Amino acid sequence: MADIKTDEYVDITDVVCPVTFVKAKIAIEELEPGQILCVHMNDGEPVQNVPRSMKEEGHRVLKLYKNDDGTYDLIVEKGEE
Amino acid sequence: MKLIVKGEEKEYKEGLTLAQLVELEKIETPQYVTASVNDELLSAGEFEKTLLKDGDVLEFLYFMGGGGL
Amino acid sequence: MAFSNEQIERYSRHIILKEVGVKGQKRLLNGKVLIIGAGGLGAPAAMYLAAAGVGTIGIADADEVDLSNLQRQIIHSTKDLGKAKVISAKETMEEINPDVTVNTYHTFVSADNISELIKDYDFIIDGTDNFPAKFLINDACVMAKKPFSHAGIIRFQGQLMTYVPGEGPCYRCVFKNPPPKDAVPTCRQAGVIGAMGGIIGSLQAMEAVKYLLGVGELLTGYLLTYDALKMTFRKIKLPKHVADCPVCGDNPTIHELVDYEQAECDGAF
Repeated sequence: MADIKTDEYVDITDVVCPVTFVKAKIAIEELEPGQILCVHMNDGEPVQNVPRSMKEEGHRVLKLYKNDDGTYDLIVEKGEE
Repeated sequence: MKLIVKGEEKEYKEGLTLAQLVELEKIETPQYVTASVNDELLSAGEFEKTLLKDGDVLEFLYFMGGGGL
Repeated sequence: MAFSNEQIERYSRHIILKEVGVKGQKRLLNGKVLIIGAGGLGAPAAMYLAAAGVGTIGIADADEVDLSNLQRQIIHSTKDLGKAKVISAKETMEEINPDVTVNTYHTFVSADNISELIKDYDFIIDGTDNFPAKFLINDACVMAKKPFSHAGIIRFQGQLMTYVPGEGPCYRCVFKNPPPKDAVPTCRQAGVIGAMGGIIGSLQAMEAVKYLLGVGELLTGYLLTYDALKMTFRKIKLPKHVADCPVCGDNPTIHELVDYEQAECDGAF
């Protein structure tokens, strides 16, 4: 994930649905439009739902990286309010 | 003539006053009801002199006091 | 103010909502709502507002919990009989959500104390059972430019409207003066189905939440009526402005708060 500079990082591997998305949402609400958030998440339900929910909220999903340990890093750019 | 009373269109005889309608519709405690006629609010004292006309839209607003004790 | 993990989980179903989110939940936590009357309407309103995390909730009521209250006033339990309703209500609300600060006022609202009571609150809920109190709350809120929710329930019927200063009519625009004592049946004489308070009181809580969040359309300029037997809700449009309203019209004649003859419901005990 070296090619995109992120402004904030949130780890949601320690929680389950729907708190996964809630933690990601709280983190992105703290940012300004255009800033970039990295969401560290587990495989399965979070990967299925968090990127989609982020899009529905009007944010731009830039990339989803799969890490060696099976976790994922989702790179999201905050949309306009 | 047609009146829309409490959201329902019904047929009434011409020349009906609001007081007569209140009686026809069996409005409870009519002396304490506020009537809305085409978006204007009327108190009981004005019912007698209010002549209804075709197409009038009427609602009745009741005092409702419960809720506390 | 950052949310604790417990708050994130507690309010997760709110924060997920686009209309609430983090900002909205913080607004609720910073919000102050006063509920006048801890009875059929006030009980569900208080419980939902506490659960929602409305940070400061005031509750005013002079009565004690009576056995005949428990058929509908779900904030009180059998163990609370004889206890001041405001204390019983506070205990239930704090059990639901310890985040909430509950201020209790064990008193009747009157022309002498109401202005002081409503002063620090963002939104007022009228959950009283008598017309003198309802007119007093209306006049005090109009004069202090405070938004409030009016409601009444009887038998299988309920109604409510929301007043926001400058946005629509007040209670007195619709009903000029309180009816004479005992002229109109109240729930003590006429009865009321228990769930009615739950429905209408919850709608009042919904109006308070929407007001604090600044979302949606409030029930300003409308009277919503509910007939449980016919299972119909009707949203009756009211005039936007009533020029001859004695308290919020163009030339108001009421400049002072008055205590009308006490409580229709009170005579019976």
